[in-house]
Amino acid sequence: MLFFSFFKTLVNHEITVELKNEICIRGTLKSVDQFLNIKLDNAETTDGARWPHLCSTRDMFIRGSVVRYVHLPAGMVDIDLLEDATRKEAAAAKEKAK
Amino acid sequence: MEEKDEGGHAEPLDLVRLCLDEVVVVRLRGNRELKGRLHAYDSHCNLVLGEVEETIYIVEEEEEDEQSHVRIVKKQSEMLFVRGDSVVLIAPAEGIQDLRS
Amino acid sequence: MSFFGFDTTLPRDHSHSARAPGFGQPADPFASLSGGAADDEIIDFEDTYDGLGDQLDDADDALNDDTFGGGPATQQTVGKDFDFAGQTSKIANTLQEEQMLFEARNLRKPPPVQASKPARTGYESYHDPDYIPQLEARADIWGLQPKQVPQQKQPEPQAPSAPAKKMMSLDEVEAMMRAQTASQTTAAPPVQPAPAQIPPSVPMRHQQQIQHHGAQDQFAPQILQAPHQQQPSFSQQQAHAELPAHPVQIQPPRQPAAMQRQRQTPDNAGQQPRYAAPLPSAQRPPSQPRQILQNPNRLSGQGLPVMPPPTGPRGALPVHSRGPSFPSMAITPDQLMQMPEEQRLAYLEEEARRAKRNHKIALLSKDNGLMTPQDKNFITRIQLQQLMAATGGLEEARSEAALAEDFYYHVFSQIRGAHRQTPQQPANQFAQTYLFQTNSRFGAGRRHGRGGDNHMQRMEQQVQRAVEAAKAKPKNKQLVIEGSLGKISFSNSKTPRPLLNIKRAETGDKHPKPHKSSIADRKEVLRNIEDVYRALMEIDDHERALPPPINEESSPEAIQNHMEWRTKFQALHDKLWEATKIMEPINLQSPTPHPFIAMLSHAKGKKLISRLFRHIDDQERVTVITMIVVHLDHLPVVNQAIATPEEPLSPAIREQVELFVHAVIPPYFTHIQTSPLNIVIGLLEIILQRTNLHLVARSKVGMEMLTILLSRAEILKQSAPEMDVTEWEKWTELYNRLFDTVEPVLPVLFPGTVNDTDDKYIWQFLAAIGVGASPEQQQRLVLGVKDRVMDTVTVSRALPPDMSAARLFNVNLFMRAIGLDVELLG
Repeated sequence: MLFFSFFKTLVNHEITVELKNEICIRGTLKSVDQFLNIKLDNAETTDGARWPHLCSTRDMFIRGSVVRYVHLPAGMVDIDLLEDATRKEAAAAKEKAK
Repeated sequence: MEEKDEGGHAEPLDLVRLCLDEVVVVRLRGNRELKGRLHAYDSHCNLVLGEVEETIYIVEEEEEDEQSHVRIVKKQSEMLFVRGDSVVLIAPAEGIQDLRS
Repeated sequence: MSFFGFDTTLPRDHSHSARAPGFGQPADPFASLSGGAADDEIIDFEDTYDGLGDQLDDADDALNDDTFGGGPATQQTVGKDFDFAGQTSKIANTLQEEQMLFEARNLRKPPPVQASKPARTGYESYHDPDYIPQLEARADIWGLQPKQVPQQKQPEPQAPSAPAKKMMSLDEVEAMMRAQTASQTTAAPPVQPAPAQIPPSVPMRHQQQIQHHGAQDQFAPQILQAPHQQQPSFSQQQAHAELPAHPVQIQPPRQPAAMQRQRQTPDNAGQQPRYAAPLPSAQRPPSQPRQILQNPNRLSGQGLPVMPPPTGPRGALPVHSRGPSFPSMAITPDQLMQMPEEQRLAYLEEEARRAKRNHKIALLSKDNGLMTPQDKNFITRIQLQQLMAATGGLEEARSEAALAEDFYYHVFSQIRGAHRQTPQQPANQFAQTYLFQTNSRFGAGRRHGRGGDNHMQRMEQQVQRAVEAAKAKPKNKQLVIEGSLGKISFSNSKTPRPLLNIKRAETGDKHPKPHKSSIADRKEVLRNIEDVYRALMEIDDHERALPPPINEESSPEAIQNHMEWRTKFQALHDKLWEATKIMEPINLQSPTPHPFIAMLSHAKGKKLISRLFRHIDDQERVTVITMIVVHLDHLPVVNQAIATPEEPLSPAIREQVELFVHAVIPPYFTHIQTSPLNIVIGLLEIILQRTNLHLVARSKVGMEMLTILLSRAEILKQSAPEMDVTEWEKWTELYNRLFDTVEPVLPVLFPGTVNDTDDKYIWQFLAAIGVGASPEQQQRLVLGVKDRVMDTVTVSRALPPDMSAARLFNVNLFMRAIGLDVELLG
């Protein structure tokens, strides 16, 4: 749940989603679920010339599994907290595995 | 050692935990490599990396001389979430440098 | 597949679906039917139109009646069976008779005096400590059937829900419709009666019939006329705790229709059971106890009827009206006039009093029963929760497990979320742990780094305070200087300056490269760091579980809890202290660095210090600081961070230095700020004796740490001049040693060229060392940095005003410390 928790803090911030088929979409993160499916508002492809058919799509839903990267606003990430949350998650996962 | 004292046995991801807040090299599917500071990971190998440099190795085959050469593309990102299903391996950057030298 | 029979699939889709019906292409069972048009042919309307529309016969309206009710002949009767007012008006006389009869009966049997308060308040259950109210909003608010009807005292089958209505499939409906057209005489199919299929028309003649049966029917219309009388009163509502829609209320409207239908189609046996159930209860003659239950108020007051409250809420909120809605017929004005005078006055008085009381009750209780205790409890919980969230105490309410699940989001929103309502309120633990953490790597636009800036400001303030204090007491200073003049010369002659220089000069800048750690060593260090983090987080978690504070009156249990908490806390603290490995013996000659110092070479190790300081006591902090100071020239941020104008620092090292300055120096500074002189002396002595001062003084980290020590000592000197003389002598001696050692490197203190603006910390250091200097030392100081001062002033003249001012301000930090000013330089 770490990344679900993480992405929730980025709701209403602009992110750039890079899909596994190279398409890059920039938009405002509207919602995210535990599968890291993503809903974007005001989405636009960063390379409109290459993907003209995506130009007209403003709001979109992206299935989590097709995502390769998400470029994030560094200012919206609390690194120390994120690392601690990761440690917690790792400890919890270990606890479960026992 | 320490891990065993804590009641669990050392798991592969424990090594990744040691790399938290350290610079790591991540190999991805599709001839991609990332180098950046590891800020988060989970059991699916989803990652968050800071100050990332992405290196893409594009193999270009030229039909005339039947030679293939690799074109290298580099990209930067200040903060990057990487979906775990692309990840092939995670290694500490320093360790890799030590091995290479 | 298209509704109109068109082929809506695009040509490109065809080729795909034909060969590979897979992802995104659900199997289409009608594909073969619609596949008339070839892929690339232009589709012609005439080719594809099946002509079904032509076959339609507009005249054939065989099913119209079934769909829309009977033909024109029966249309007049549509809705007549709902015309209750019309029907009841026809039996108005009977109604009035019944009314009189009822009132008369009531008069004859005076009921027991009723308490004005409802028998139950709705809060009884809360006296039971084990009572756990059902946390469930009333389903009927949303128009749903309640899940259960507890304690239904008068189980009456509800008409609408009685027949098990089955959702019919299209086929079934069709079959039924065909059956109906086949046999028009059969009004409804014997099986599966659906409400829509019931013949709606009630022939006019039956209305006469109703009038004939007036006597028999009289009860039902009466209920109709005063449906709000059926509203459960307090006691009854309790009995029917969750029963929202009173069964009696639902029945009456259906009553006449049901009876009519029954009479109309006596041969239709299939329908009868459906209505059989409600009938007995509806036709049951009114029974006294039930009436009392339904409206206890009406029977209160010595059997005298109650007048409706004058301004009662009856009109607006009839549902909650507690006054009688029957016209009070018991004592007509005529009867009243016939009464004896006394009785009449008594009656009127009584009446007035009761009216007043009723009015009051009505006002107070007009919204009574709107919410069940469960509802109220639900709301209370929500309010409490909001209160907790608003005051930031939510983490106590949330279970630790839920917190762990959503740790990042939860803490993040607490830290960066809404501003605290009360600025005085201390930041919660999360904020203390994470908000003041420093992270210089993304300084721009981040809260991070503020801690560092803050520390820079505070350090500057401390230096300035030292300068101001020295100026404010010039006499005092003179005295001190004069008193120490002899000692200065004494130490000058005795200071083993050459010794120090020579001793270290060899190793000097070529300080042995730190042991290149093997991968195994590195892993070990990382593991140590992670262990400290784990211990830190365990302590953090445990802190959140702090039981409420105890006092003398606390129960033994609470005290016990507290004791256990403290024991555990102590154990975790010890574990943390052990994890730092700080108590391992120091061996400066060892090729491997001390485990604690090794941690500081990693970014996350540096970040540990401020968090560690939160959990350790003063003595332990001194230990940590001493440990760092002893190894100062072993730190990569010192011995690898000596820059020259020709050879600036690598970005990696610069980053490390910045992180150290922002993560390790602030807790060190905070601690020194409150330290007594002996600690300052001890630390300076360690630096002088055990480290290579040239390295230390030429690195940013070392210089800042020296600045902090010097300015602290100066402030102590100014604020408490009557301090122990031997301590001051010791300090002066150390100061002179420091000055003599630093003096040769003064010209190379500045790592960058004049254009390098990151020189504030050097001016601060110069100010700190200059403020305690003797006039002779000040002169030497000025000689050492004169060129730099002049260059900076010259350069700043060419800069924009604000930048120029900033640079001159920095220079002035030093100049004013020795009683000069850049203004004097012209």
